[in-house]
Amino acid sequence: MNGSLISLRGVGRSFGATQALADVDLDLGPGVIGLLGPNGAGKTTLLRLLATALPPSRGEVRVLGRDVEVPAQRTEIRRRLGYLPQEVGFPRGFTAFAFVDYIALLKEWADPAVRHAEVRRVLNLVGLSHATTKRIRAMSGGQRRRVALAQALLGSPPVLILDEPTTGVDPEQRVTLRTVLAELARTSIVVLSTHQTEDVAALCERVVVLDQGRVRYDGAVTDLVRRAAGRVWLADQPDPAATVSWRTGTGRYRNVAAQARDGVQHVEPSLEDAYLLLRADRSGTGMVTR
Amino acid sequence: MTGWHVDDETLRRYVERIDSVAEGASVEQHVLRCERCRARVNTAAAAADLAVVDLDAVWDRTRGAIEVPRPSVFERLLTAVGVPSDEARIVAVASAFHGVWLVGVATVIAFAALAAKIGGTGELWFVLAVAPVAPCLLVAVSYDWRWDPALEPEMATPYPVLRLVLLRTIAVLALALPAVLLLGLLVPGQPPFVWLLPAVGFVAVVLAASTWINPLNAATTVSAAWFVAVWLTRRAYSPTEVLEARTQVAFLVLAAASFCVFVVRGHHLTQLRPRG
Repeated sequence: MNGSLISLRGVGRSFGATQALADVDLDLGPGVIGLLGPNGAGKTTLLRLLATALPPSRGEVRVLGRDVEVPAQRTEIRRRLGYLPQEVGFPRGFTAFAFVDYIALLKEWADPAVRHAEVRRVLNLVGLSHATTKRIRAMSGGQRRRVALAQALLGSPPVLILDEPTTGVDPEQRVTLRTVLAELARTSIVVLSTHQTEDVAALCERVVVLDQGRVRYDGAVTDLVRRAAGRVWLADQPDPAATVSWRTGTGRYRNVAAQARDGVQHVEPSLEDAYLLLRADRSGTGMVTR
Repeated sequence: MTGWHVDDETLRRYVERIDSVAEGASVEQHVLRCERCRARVNTAAAAADLAVVDLDAVWDRTRGAIEVPRPSVFERLLTAVGVPSDEARIVAVASAFHGVWLVGVATVIAFAALAAKIGGTGELWFVLAVAPVAPCLLVAVSYDWRWDPALEPEMATPYPVLRLVLLRTIAVLALALPAVLLLGLLVPGQPPFVWLLPAVGFVAVVLAASTWINPLNAATTVSAAWFVAVWLTRRAYSPTEVLEARTQVAFLVLAAASFCVFVVRGHHLTQLRPRG
């Protein structure tokens, strides 16, 4: 276990003939861990396995030392888990307060006064203290996402599994949510998937990149970014030597190439540049795993 | 000026600000005109340790009155018959207990019963095909993922899924069986209770089958199979034969066996099944 809070050994998950995850080995410790990958890479399946919502087809998943396949241990995991699924529906006619209160009931918050205080606390954390009595149906997409996130934060659980927590959330609220998650990561393990590389760069020390159900990179965010050093430059035209090239807001072209390039105006690489390079290199050469 | 003065208890509640709005307004009106009660208020206010008034608690109560949702009619009904309020909330969230489903199923059964009433025993097969399967369809809706939009976060909680399913099943039966009985009164020539065992039997089959497949798939398969079986045999057998004692015993055995399977395999309900 080497001190890891979550461990996966040879984990695979198939849906009929489709293999969503294959031979995944991971050891995750405290802090915020970001999951990156294209659509269909297996991020949601992996998070569902960690959240005990889906059983693995093969291999072993342990959370806080407990086996997700053993019913009694699964319940113990769920007592210490906050989970935000990719899509959350809401019962008809519910307000934000009613929904989070309902999930709190299922999470064994029996005392109404204590439960209501906790519901207020988490709604306040996600910036919805002014909208507790608003019907969810009348809320914007970003507000609904925050209601869904609030239920995952109930009780400040030691394990937090978040599937695209910032989707649809405005930039100001995203910054607020990052602060909340960073604070939680002092005492918890937070595993989040996202398409927003800037969220990973701002929050995570460690990033796992998945592609076609396999781990393509697992390591420090800074190490991944460093791999793109000397490979990102600005030019007035798209460079044919670039692997990826796009026109920026200044009218100049940002070029990212698999090979280092001399004689150009290099810029500081971002996590997005490094991720794009990794994605472009799908043959497997130069890939780094921990 | 009347001879009436504020009594001690009302005065204490007024000073400690734990009286109702109407009560407080009444005391205030009186105190404005009554020197004696004004003096008593001053004395009581000076003596009272006003720090004991927990303003946070007062604020929480006020917020609670606004934020905490009022229980639905169905939830209040469950509480009235002795279900704890927490369990009542968990049961009542299910889509099956929303008006549209209940009205829909009741309407179908009512039409079937009415058809039998008007058409005589010749149309009894339709009631036989519809009435016993209506409760199992409602049970399936009460915990099928397609009708429970919050299923995924619900599943990641420690609340026992088996308990959730059973509670919702009991609630459906408590609603649907009296309706089936009542509507059975409209059917000529049959005591209304003969519909009960087939209905319970099919509910148990759906519960057991849902440990392998999605509940609604199970319920629609059972319903369709039953409908076809009744329709195909409607000329060979009288519908009343299906409801005779021998068949009733068969339904009882089916219900007991299916329920045992459900309890043994119940742990399979605790995780998502791949869609499709």
